[in-house]
Amino acid sequence: MSKDVWNLFIAFTRASNLSFGGGPAVIPLIQKEVVSRYQWMTDEEFADALAVGNSLPGPIATKMASYIGYRVAGWLGVLATLTGTILPTLLITILLGDLLIRYSNNPILNAALTAVRPVVVVLIAQSAYDLGKKAFPKNSHVAWGIAVGALALMFLTPIHPGFLILTAMIVGYFTWGRKKTQDSINK
Amino acid sequence: MTQLWDLFIGFFRASNLAFGGGPAIIPLVQAETLSRYHWMTPSQFSDGLAISTSLPGPIATLLAGYVGYHVSGWLGVLVALLGTIGLTTFAVILLTSFLMKHMNSPVLKGMLKGVRPVVVVLVAKTAFDMGMNVSLNVYSLLIALFTLFALFRLKLHPGIIIVLSMLFGILVFR
Repeated sequence: MSKDVWNLFIAFTRASNLSFGGGPAVIPLIQKEVVSRYQWMTDEEFADALAVGNSLPGPIATKMASYIGYRVAGWLGVLATLTGTILPTLLITILLGDLLIRYSNNPILNAALTAVRPVVVVLIAQSAYDLGKKAFPKNSHVAWGIAVGALALMFLTPIHPGFLILTAMIVGYFTWGRKKTQDSINK
Repeated sequence: MTQLWDLFIGFFRASNLAFGGGPAIIPLVQAETLSRYHWMTPSQFSDGLAISTSLPGPIATLLAGYVGYHVSGWLGVLVALLGTIGLTTFAVILLTSFLMKHMNSPVLKGMLKGVRPVVVVLVAKTAFDMGMNVSLNVYSLLIALFTLFALFRLKLHPGIIIVLSMLFGILVFR
């Protein structure tokens, strides 16, 4: 248990402190740690975590940290993941604040950050791809229908992701959640 | 004492209204910090903003730390952070324990199956939106292609790719 707590701290420290270029940049990094390296969850379960994360306000990094930390190691896990996520850069900001201010509009830094952006785009796209491999059960028209519907709604309306998720849950319930007991036994 | 309470409430308000990703919180925090509570001057705030957006990690918590420290030292940091992530952390944990408790329910499994395609679409759209914001030039394309190659062929860790691209950027983007 304490090994998990330590690993949670390390994993989230690593992921958060490489996440240059905005909030969502952390998602593929967390995925790499949590699903690939430590195998605390599957891609499907990671997608569930993202669903929870996208329905609530606030920074995605801390939401994912809370979910995963709690799932793996309860409250202590949450403490570990949140500390890893927030503490290092927070300390740097506060302790080196003045130094940072002097260098923060530095052209070298801006050049580096500009270069990171395409990387982040590709990383996030890869996350979507990985999640996508597991999100569409064989021959499931409903799953694809949900995806297409969500895509259409997102581009055509200012709909909140939470509503999409809620609607998808209802569709999911009616499609897969209401198996008769016979089917459940057969599974 | 009221300062601490104000910090908590200000950041609580800003973060719980901030839908739509990291930078969405910036105008809200700015409104609290500058317009409502006058905790610092606009140029001090933009310094904090510059730091928060150039360092890795969540912008919201860095801003909270910066402003919180400025107003009330370490206690201010704690209070601002609590305001920022306290409620959502608690909500996430509640939801998580609910999900964990009912993990074997076919109802829940069905619902989650429905949600996964939406999550894929959400993440893909994020990539798309970010992609639209990247200026189209040879270097960005090169970096993107290299990333693809490094990820799938070389199986490099994303962190390494990030660092390499930053070095490349320093060479070509200045």
